Amino acid sequence: MSDPIIMTDKLTQSFDGVRAVDSLTLEIAKGEVFGFLGHNGAGKTTTVQMLTTLAKPASGTARVAGHDIRTDPLSVRRSIGYVPENVRLYDTQTATENLLFFARLSGVEAPQARVAEVLDLLDCTYLAHQRVGGFSKGMRQRVGLAQAILHRPSVLFLDEPTSGLDPMGIKMLRDLIIRLNIEFGMTIFMNTHLISEIAKTCTSIAVLSHGKLVFHDRIEAVTARYGDDAALEELYLSLTPVGRLAGAAA
Amino acid sequence: MSPRWLVARQSALFVLRERTVALLGAMFIVLVLISAWLGWSATATVDGIYQQATVFLKAAGRTVPPNPVFDMSPLFLMRNMSVYVALIGALSAIVIGNRLVCLDRKAGVLPLIGIRPLSQGDYAIGKIAALGALIAGLSIVAAVAATATFLVLPSIQLSLLQWAQLVGFMVVSAVYMAIFGLIGLATGAWSRSETVGLLLPVTAWLALTFILPQLTANLNPTAAINPISALAAPPDIGFFHWTAQILGPFSLADSFKFASARLLDYLPPDISPPSFIPPFLDLLLALVAATALAWRSLTGLAMTQGDYNV
Repeated sequence: MSDPIIMTDKLTQSFDGVRAVDSLTLEIAKGEVFGFLGHNGAGKTTTVQMLTTLAKPASGTARVAGHDIRTDPLSVRRSIGYVPENVRLYDTQTATENLLFFARLSGVEAPQARVAEVLDLLDCTYLAHQRVGGFSKGMRQRVGLAQAILHRPSVLFLDEPTSGLDPMGIKMLRDLIIRLNIEFGMTIFMNTHLISEIAKTCTSIAVLSHGKLVFHDRIEAVTARYGDDAALEELYLSLTPVGRLAGAAA
Repeated sequence: MSPRWLVARQSALFVLRERTVALLGAMFIVLVLISAWLGWSATATVDGIYQQATVFLKAAGRTVPPNPVFDMSPLFLMRNMSVYVALIGALSAIVIGNRLVCLDRKAGVLPLIGIRPLSQGDYAIGKIAALGALIAGLSIVAAVAATATFLVLPSIQLSLLQWAQLVGFMVVSAVYMAIFGLIGLATGAWSRSETVGLLLPVTAWLALTFILPQLTANLNPTAAINPISALAAPPDIGFFHWTAQILGPFSLADSFKFASARLLDYLPPDISPPSFIPPFLDLLLALVAATALAWRSLTGLAMTQGDYNV
C-alpha cells in the first residue's frame, strides 16, 4: 500500500465492559475514498470518534496524516475535517456566521473570503445569510460539509453522510464527495450503511462486526470477485451477525 | 485571535442575546439604580430639610447643629446593594454560567468544536473568561451607578479611602457573583439535563443565602434580605457556637454581608465574623474552589456528545 494516511494499531475502545472496537488494525492509503461498513452498534462511529480525537482509545493507537492521535491530537485536528451523522449548528445564527466561527477556530486566514469560496464550491451561496434553524436535513448536511473543509483538511471523516437524505440529496452529496477527492486530493473516510453508495463512491471498503474488522479490500477486487450491488450486499450480509441471522431464517 | 478568546467572544455574545439573561441582568441593574436612587433621595431629603432649618435657625439667632447627613459614612447609601448582589446578582450569575455551557450542548456543536485545534483547557479558559467578562460588565454598570450617585450629591464628599472602599465593595461583589456563575458553569457542564444543570446551583444558592445563615446565626430568612438585620449577633448558646465553627466557612452569604458591611461602613461594632476564616479570605477560597470545579467539569466534558442525553 502506498503512503498510508490513516494507520490504526490494535485500536480498542470499551463501554461498560463491552468492547465497542476490538483491536482494530487498518491502513488506508492517501487519496482513497474508504467505505466503512457495519451493522448498527458495530463500532463505526466509535472508531471515527477515536480517529478524530473526540474520544481517547482504551488501548492501541493510530496515526492520522502522520500524527499520533494520542500524543499529538492538535496536529491531527489541523489535518482533518469531520461531518457527524446529524449535523448540529448554532440554529439562531446564519450559515455564514456559523462557518466564520468554525473557520476562525481552525485558524483559517481571511475567513470571510474562504467561507464565501466554500459556499460557492458547494453550490449553496443562497444559504449564506439564512438562519440555520430553518434548514432542511440536506441543507444542514451541506453546511456541515462546508465547515469540515474550510481549513483544507487532508482527511475528511463522514459519519453516515447520506442518512435521512432524499435520493436527490444523496446524489448531490455523492458528487461532492467524489469532487473533493478528485479535485482536492482529500482522503475520505466514510461510515455508511448503504451498499449501493459504496460501489458508486468508494475505492476501498472494510466491514466491522461487533467491533472487529472482518473484511478489508479494494473495491475493484471486491466487484471483480462478487459482481454487482446485489452480490456486494450478499457479501456484507454474510459478514454481519444480523445478516447471518436473516440468512438462517430464510 | 486565539481559539480560547474566540470561544469567549462567541459565548459572551450568544449569552447576551438570551432573553432570560438579558431580563435578569436588566433587573439587577435596575435594582442597583433603585438602590442608588433611594439612598440619594433619602440623603437629599434630609440634607434639604437641614438646609431649610439652618436658614430658619440662623434667622432666629439660634445655634445650628451639625448636618445629620455627616453623622454616618456616605457609603451607607449603598447598603441595599449588598442584598441585591446576594439575591438577584448571584441568581443572574448562575443563569449566565449555566447558559454559557448549555448553548453549546443544546446546539449540539460540541463535536464540531472538539475537532478544532484547541485543547479542552482552551475551551474551559474561553468559557471562564466569558463568564468573567459578563460579570465584570454587570459590576461596572453597578459601579457607574454608585459613582454617579455620589457625584450628583453635592453635600457628600468621599475621601480617597472611601472611594477605595467603594471599589473594594464592587470587587467583592463581582467575586461573590463569580462564585455562583462558576458553579452554574460547572453544573451546566456535568449535568445530564439542562433542567438539573440549572436546578442544582439554584438549590445551592438558596441553601447558602437562606438556610446556612439560619443555622449559623439564627437568621430568619426574611431578615436575610435586610442588610442591617442580617448582621444581628446570634444567640450566645452552644448550638450556634458549634454550627458557626463547622458550617460558618461555607456560609458564603454571611461572609459576603460581613465584608460588604465593613467596606460600606455600616458594620455594627458588636458583630464578629461569621466563621474562624476571615470573610474576605473565605470568599477568595470559595472562588478558587468554584474555579477548580468549573475547570474540572469543562475539561471533562464529553465532546462526542451532540446534545444532552435525551
